[in-house]
Amino acid sequence: MSDNTKLTFTPVIGIEIHIQLKTKSKVFCSCSADYTNDEPNSHICPVCMGLPGSMPVLNKSVIQQGMLAGMALNCTVQPTTYFFRKSYYYPDLPKNYQITQSDLPIAANGWLEIKDDAGNPKTIRINRLHLEEDVGKLHHSAADGRLEGAETSWVDYNRSGLPLAEIVSEPDVSSAREAVEYVTALRRRVRYAGASDVDLEKGMMRFDANVSVKCSDGRWGRRVEVKNMNSFRALERAIEYEIKRQSKILAEGGEVLQETRHWNDAKETTTASRVKEFYRKFIVEPDLPPLVVSPQWVEEVRGMLPEMPNEKAARYKEMGLSEIDAGVLTDSIDVAQYFEACVAAGANPLRAGNWVRTEVLRAVNDRQAGDRQVGEKQAGDRQFGVKDLPVKPDVLAELIRRIDDGKLSTTLAKNVFEGLLEGLSLDEAVKNSGAAEGGVNAGALEDLVSATLAANADVVGDIRSGKDTKGKKVKFLQGLIMRETKGQARPEEVAAAIESALANPENLK
Amino acid sequence: MELYELGVREIVEGVRGKKFSALEVFDECLHRTLACESEISALITTTADAGRAHARQIDERIAKGEPLGPLAGVPVILKDNICTHGIRTTAGSRILGRWAPPYSATVWDLLSSAGAVLLGKSNMDEFAMGNTCSTSAFGPTANPWDLSRVPGGSSGGSAASVAAGYVPFALGSDTGGSIRQPASYCGIYGLKPTYGLVSRYGLIAYGSSLDQIGPFTRSVQDMDLIMDILARHDPKDSTSVDKRIDFTRREEKGERPLKGKRVALVEEFRDFTLDPPIADAMKRLIRIFEEMGAEIVQVSLPTVARYAVACYYAIAASEAHTNLARFDGVRYGYRVTTASGLKDMFEEVRSKGFGAEVKSRIIAGTCLTEPVRSEEYYVAATRVRTLIAEEFKRAFENVDCILQPVTPSLPSKIGESDEDAMKGYESDLYTLPVNMAGLPGFSFCTGYSDSGLPVGLQLVGPRWSDKNLLDIGFELEKVLGAPKIAREITRGIA
Repeated sequence: MSDNTKLTFTPVIGIEIHIQLKTKSKVFCSCSADYTNDEPNSHICPVCMGLPGSMPVLNKSVIQQGMLAGMALNCTVQPTTYFFRKSYYYPDLPKNYQITQSDLPIAANGWLEIKDDAGNPKTIRINRLHLEEDVGKLHHSAADGRLEGAETSWVDYNRSGLPLAEIVSEPDVSSAREAVEYVTALRRRVRYAGASDVDLEKGMMRFDANVSVKCSDGRWGRRVEVKNMNSFRALERAIEYEIKRQSKILAEGGEVLQETRHWNDAKETTTASRVKEFYRKFIVEPDLPPLVVSPQWVEEVRGMLPEMPNEKAARYKEMGLSEIDAGVLTDSIDVAQYFEACVAAGANPLRAGNWVRTEVLRAVNDRQAGDRQVGEKQAGDRQFGVKDLPVKPDVLAELIRRIDDGKLSTTLAKNVFEGLLEGLSLDEAVKNSGAAEGGVNAGALEDLVSATLAANADVVGDIRSGKDTKGKKVKFLQGLIMRETKGQARPEEVAAAIESALANPENLK
Repeated sequence: MELYELGVREIVEGVRGKKFSALEVFDECLHRTLACESEISALITTTADAGRAHARQIDERIAKGEPLGPLAGVPVILKDNICTHGIRTTAGSRILGRWAPPYSATVWDLLSSAGAVLLGKSNMDEFAMGNTCSTSAFGPTANPWDLSRVPGGSSGGSAASVAAGYVPFALGSDTGGSIRQPASYCGIYGLKPTYGLVSRYGLIAYGSSLDQIGPFTRSVQDMDLIMDILARHDPKDSTSVDKRIDFTRREEKGERPLKGKRVALVEEFRDFTLDPPIADAMKRLIRIFEEMGAEIVQVSLPTVARYAVACYYAIAASEAHTNLARFDGVRYGYRVTTASGLKDMFEEVRSKGFGAEVKSRIIAGTCLTEPVRSEEYYVAATRVRTLIAEEFKRAFENVDCILQPVTPSLPSKIGESDEDAMKGYESDLYTLPVNMAGLPGFSFCTGYSDSGLPVGLQLVGPRWSDKNLLDIGFELEKVLGAPKIAREITRGIA
């Protein structure tokens, strides 16, 4: 075809996300849901092993967490929903059927707002959030880590029966970038709601994408389900790869087959699934009565839902924070709560926002990086977070207030903050920073300015002769003085004193 | 009277009153069992050692004056689809191999803590699929009243062992008549309780929405005692209902004890023929009911008569094919080590592990739930099921119970297959609809045919009327006499 180059391709993408809901026990039994670092098959019982005669009992907290996650995604909670048996044979599935709500879910008809590739607001509709049980984990002896061709395979059922929420979007996503923005926003909101830790490294969030491509000449490719993406990057690369692959097929006049493909993270390609996907069959789960949630319970749970990040960010902007600052501060609810506690303790919001966004987050990141380097952190340990900082929000608020009151310069306050990070009290940290509190008195400052100017006569000469057009040399002098005062002096006073001294050389001592 | 002939109440009283020890009772029952087993084959597993140890413990408690459970020292046999911790549980199938569950069914927990002593696990149709006890991987069980005939099924081993005097009571499970029909064939009482009254936790499932565990006994008062222990809400079974029924209290009635009761006959069932002894029993019972003051009325159940059997098979098979999917050789049970891959292993394990009847129902369930057919068969059947339940509910607005046969014929010869499809349909008609609507059904012995076979009939009531059915049964027992033990087992061989 000679006019191939004129063809354009529009991707149509729907995303299915599995998240592990945060509960103490598994979805249908009382086995502990936290098995990290424990021996394989040490968190199992007749129910999550699907032993003959065992029966599921729905854990109430799973329902609550499902409702919370659904509400965080603007879904409507359905008063009566059902569970089904979804039949297929695989050794990680102990009953050879999965108990799932499928398309009669606890929550439906939600949406999330993201920005499209042009930066305009765009709504991604969410078809549903349904509850289901997770499967066990397979380990194969084969080099490619797959079941086919493996000499030996092992199954660990610790994960079997963990509570999952599957969140199915409408095919409203149009690019890999949008996909990543969608899952990022979704993850943030679900975490805000406390419905899941959504820790990607622990596999608490997994993605499947349904990708098809529409050609500008009116041809449609069939829908391809891409599976096995466990990180944002994998999701992005897999979608990019599929769009390219399908576009190329259409461009060459070929036909895109409806199939399931697996993302190979190492090779960064998708390959057609070797296992034939046959229709999955459903019957009503006879061991579980319909799940009925009362309007009272729904309202009770709604009351537990915290303010969501978008609403928080809007409120921060009203306090005068920049869009970027508001975005950074609301990325995690812990950081947002730290900031809000700081403001509540009397700190100026702008200065508090600035401090949290820079010093506080830097301290947290340094600590996380340190933990990684030391390698002390075991896979199961919770990552160091802002809540773990020794500097509590009210102390930071007090520090900020002292800056505002002129008792501490910003530079010195940063030294004090370092002391606080080491666990010192505010007073100890101030003392330790090497400066008497309360700034430098006017007389002492004048003396210091005179001495500094005298010691740097050449610089003073340059300034006087008008060579300091950009004010750099004045700044240099200011820096020297600030260093002398250990940052204790107020920069604007120092600037004023230098200016005054330069203007009145006769006053120089 | 021999110890093995005693009922539950008599054993409890005797053991408590130190007339005899729990061990003596157990040993007598064991002796009786071993004497008959070569002819009857009612058991898959005999738990002589564990049972004797448990009986000794009870005797020690008595010696020390420690408190006793309400069934202290009563030997019991459980159908082999009821999980018993550490004791092989086969569901009558090869596929479970030597599997010993790491946990016990709630019913066994309740019975053993009440002091019941396990004597054995009884034979059954494989995975409770059948009504002859002949589809078991462990071979058929014989009817104690005529060793050439089937004891009924699927709980045939439990029914035969109570009828033969192995134990005073046993547990079975009833998905579509599997307690009531063998009780009828073996001439004892069998109760299929209201769905949700007795916990199913630990019952190896066949059709989960139809399955219900219930007891076999030789007296109504024994049934009261057992039901009082079993009918308890179980948080481990989400379909178990939190509803307490007191089975132990019963008012003494006067001359016409059933005065004011309305006992119904189903109009649609009149068109079906019954074996003469069963038809005679129906006539006789109607007369007895009238003499006891009950009013005999008619109810019409057109949907039940027409659709219940077909819909039952669709639902039972659909649920069964998922319940039996877990038997794949990966985690427990029978396993083939020669298979070359996962799919081969699945195929070989299931091909060799399951019997023909089970395979045919798995295949049926697989087909009926295929996405292209599900709406037409499985889903349609579940909708009709709602109509069936509603039809029964309306019928019971004006009547206390329905009197009906359990089966249209007396037990058939072992190995004689029922080729007559219509006869098969009729033999299901009286039992399956009860499970479809989750109703209680009480099977009782009315007497014996000229050929010496027991003739049973059935009372069906609205949901939660189990106690009412037993109250009526208690009054009937005064007229009909309590079921007898088939003492002369060897006579049938000739």
